[in-house]
Amino acid sequence: MTEFRIGRGHDGPARIGEYIMGTEVYTTPILTGPIFTENPIIPYGTIGRVTSNSLKPCFLAYPFELQIDESEKEGIRETDSILLPSLPSFSALGDGAGALMLKHQMDALDELQTTIEPTRMVIRIPDEIDQEALTSSLTDFHSKGVRAAAFVFDGLLGDQDLNSIVQRKHLPMSWLALALGRITPGTIPLLYYVGFDIIDIGHACEAAAKHQRLWHNGTESIQSGQQYRYCPCASCQTLQDIDSSQLVDALLNHNVNIYVSILSESQNAMASGRLRWLVESTTHNSPAHASALRRIDRNAYSFIEEFTPSTGASNLPLIGPESYNAPAVRRFREYIASRYKPPTYKKIALLLPCSARKPYSDSKSHRRFLETIETSFSSATSQIAQIILTSPLGLVPRELERMFPAASYDIPVTGEWDREETNLAADALITHLNKFASDVVIIAHVSGGYLDIVRTAESRISQSIIYTSVDASPTSWESREALQETLIDLKDILSIKPSRPQELEEIIRSTADFQFGPGAGEVLVPENARLTGKSYRQILCRVDREQICSFVADTGLLSLTLDGARLLAPLNRYWVRLDAPSVKGGSIFAVGVREADVAIRPGDEVIILNDQGEVTAAGRSEMSGREMCELDRGRAVSVRHKLEGD
Amino acid sequence: MDLIYGQIRDAVRHASVRARGESIERRRSKSPTKPSAAWTAPCRIGSSQGTALSIVLSSIGCTHARSEEGGCTMCSYLLDGASRNPTAEEFFLQFQTAMRKLEKVGAPLSIKIYTSGSFLDPDEIPVDSRYQILKTISEDDRIKEVVLESRPEFVTEAVITEVRELLGNRSVELGIGLESSSDFVRSICINKNFNLDSFRESVVVGKRHDIGTRAYVLLKPPFMTERSALLDAQKTVTDAISLGTTTISLNPVNVQRNTLVESLWEKGKYRPPWLWSVVEVLRHAYSVSGGAVNIVCDPVAAGKNRGTHNCGNCDSSIVDSIRTFSLNQDVSVFDDLNCECRELWNHVLEHEDVSLQIHT
Ligand code: SF4
Ligand SMILES: [Zn+2]
Ligand SMILES: [Zn+2]
Repeated sequence: MTEFRIGRGHDGPARIGEYIMGTEVYTTPILTGPIFTENPIIPYGTIGRVTSNSLKPCFLAYPFELQIDESEKEGIRETDSILLPSLPSFSALGDGAGALMLKHQMDALDELQTTIEPTRMVIRIPDEIDQEALTSSLTDFHSKGVRAAAFVFDGLLGDQDLNSIVQRKHLPMSWLALALGRITPGTIPLLYYVGFDIIDIGHACEAAAKHQRLWHNGTESIQSGQQYRYCPCASCQTLQDIDSSQLVDALLNHNVNIYVSILSESQNAMASGRLRWLVESTTHNSPAHASALRRIDRNAYSFIEEFTPSTGASNLPLIGPESYNAPAVRRFREYIASRYKPPTYKKIALLLPCSARKPYSDSKSHRRFLETIETSFSSATSQIAQIILTSPLGLVPRELERMFPAASYDIPVTGEWDREETNLAADALITHLNKFASDVVIIAHVSGGYLDIVRTAESRISQSIIYTSVDASPTSWESREALQETLIDLKDILSIKPSRPQELEEIIRSTADFQFGPGAGEVLVPENARLTGKSYRQILCRVDREQICSFVADTGLLSLTLDGARLLAPLNRYWVRLDAPSVKGGSIFAVGVREADVAIRPGDEVIILNDQGEVTAAGRSEMSGREMCELDRGRAVSVRHKLEGD
Repeated sequence: MDLIYGQIRDAVRHASVRARGESIERRRSKSPTKPSAAWTAPCRIGSSQGTALSIVLSSIGCTHARSEEGGCTMCSYLLDGASRNPTAEEFFLQFQTAMRKLEKVGAPLSIKIYTSGSFLDPDEIPVDSRYQILKTISEDDRIKEVVLESRPEFVTEAVITEVRELLGNRSVELGIGLESSSDFVRSICINKNFNLDSFRESVVVGKRHDIGTRAYVLLKPPFMTERSALLDAQKTVTDAISLGTTTISLNPVNVQRNTLVESLWEKGKYRPPWLWSVVEVLRHAYSVSGGAVNIVCDPVAAGKNRGTHNCGNCDSSIVDSIRTFSLNQDVSVFDDLNCECRELWNHVLEHEDVSLQIHT
């Protein structure tokens, strides 16, 4: 029995799983190659040509021109998986040539399936194939039982490689994805990130044959008599005085070590929610890496975003332009634009610079700003909307400063912004301020790059803007004086009346809107809601003594009680519908999910409906909504509250 | 299966027509009275040393290439052709021009007549010219050996009878582009458009008239991995020898202009064969034939990007060995060849099969 099982966890489409070939269980992600070592590598070979001498199950390529006779079939073991026959370069003919290669593989499958289970077959996705032909034949292969596909890479990170990455998104969720061809070690984080489970390291041999040592960010040519880089790996210790007959083997061992260590680094990064960061750091390997990630963010954004968890690392470094469109970042900007709704009682919108320390209100500068606000606007501070400008998130309303990734991102603070990030923030600001009434007064308490954002946006902002920090830093004494005077004046001019603090309501409402979409805040915090707690620890929301939800400052997220889930259910969002009348145990598995909202991302708070459509539990998703529907196994939701009874 | 093969063939056919493109109209107008090329070289004739004259007649070009079939995926002989077909007299003048190169050369002589297609195709070379040319040869006693080139469909009983009658007891060989003994490879990877039976038939017809067959074997058509190509050429050699061919001429693909191969090559989807593969096929051919069949290889553009090549360091010494072997059939010339790139070639053999990524 050959099977691919997907385990728990995501960082982008990257996942962990098990590829089970007979009694051998390979944990994915894993490398594949011609080398037989103690390393966890799935060996491969070609039927009738190079059969692996490994005892372990392997991948066997089926040559196109081969008519397999009985004797050759004996070389194929029950546990081996078969790469179906296709012609190299054929799809480059265009004109549906790629589709023909898929049809041919379907014919081959029909012929072979009397002796080889389709679950053991791997289809080869042609380099060039139109999307419609691909998706329709994937459906056919799926119905025949195929669960794996291989894509080709030429290692140039140009059109072909990009194409393979973009095509990969069409695979059904439950399929195993192989990346074959020339793959350099530095590309492994990226390929893993975009959802490849098995990666070919044949290039280790190619480089060794060319007397090259591979590194995570390039190659080094080894010539006798020349000084070369220090490497701690065992096979490099004797490199100095090795004779040429053993050189290739030594280099090969080194190269394999590099692949193994980079894969391990990637797995580790994925486990700690920092895989995207690792991928971003590889953009400095070469311009090709940098442009590849940019193009992937553009062409496969929705695919990558779909599997990007809604929570993440407690420290998320966002270093350069490669982060501007990272899914967690872009999604934050988009949610602020589409889901955030300012309270109607705001009279002033105060723009502030971000701080290195997160959440902002823990920083020295923001503590001073808050002091200034308090002293000059006491008993009416709730009428000031505080908006923190920052890159690359654009802006963060004070109420949402504990939301991921606002509470955990880390940028190099220089005060200098490039044009792209200035424009991103300016666009965000325009959209944001347009949601406020036109008589709201804007105070821009910012300088330097932050000021440039406001100036860039100025002509498209309808409200009037007062600048309080043009000549000096916003934290300086003069600027704070200016802010204080402005606030005092405005209090007078706008005839501000005292009002009660609204901090807790605002946090819960805006968080609810952010998590569950527009309208959720009003539903969860009705007029008669009672809020208790502290914004920096926990806030509880009760209606008629029943707890509805709680806000946990550490995560910046709301968690729902069953009552809360019931209140939200009519909004028809973030629901998971089961096949059963109730939830048993602490987890819901994908096999038991009938349908789920495709907007669900891993880490989202979700509402569980039973087979009758009644709310039966609330919990946190472990996968995306589409995976819940498509996968036959794996944990879909960790249940937090459920209807007790049977 | 067959349905898909048909569609795959059609796709190749269309792509061949597309690759040929306008080139068919852009052919230079050439002097109809001069051959495309003619050259002499020392050669072995029977057991003695002699001189060979190779003549490439300038014709309108291969019927197959001119037709809607698009021609073979690696062949641009069409480009060498003339834009209008020369008349019978003009063809004969071409032949006479070439023959002048032999005026002061003594016996024994070998004459090889090539066209950009088939010498025996009456649509390409008028029957009258063919007759005149063969007649002229028959009157020259120095000429002991004649090689003619043709696709198998033109090798008919009638034509071969005529050839034998005219050439008397000279040694005659028919050069036929078998390319591959696999119908699949020949039709899909090469778009050759005849099947193995047709070739087999030609060998038989030739044999009946004591005319030998020189089989051209192609190494590495497109859409094949290096290993598939190597194995296919080796099998083709074995098959051709057992069908009774008298000479094996191995042709590693070179990237010719306006061909399907060229369009793939430009996209990084094709690489001409490694010289190591050429050596491997020649060795195999020698061991199969046991010296009974003549094995030759004169690789075009060898060592260049467009031709069979290795790493650049070892290319010329390997090409030299290949040429030497073709002359003396001494397979030991290959024994001492070595280069660091052999390891890389081994990697390519293994990795292309699994990945289907062409290692350019
Ligand atoms: S290889 Fe021969 S048959 Fe094919 S197109 Fe060229 S000349 Fe014609
Ligand atoms: Zn090392
Ligand atoms: Zn070499």
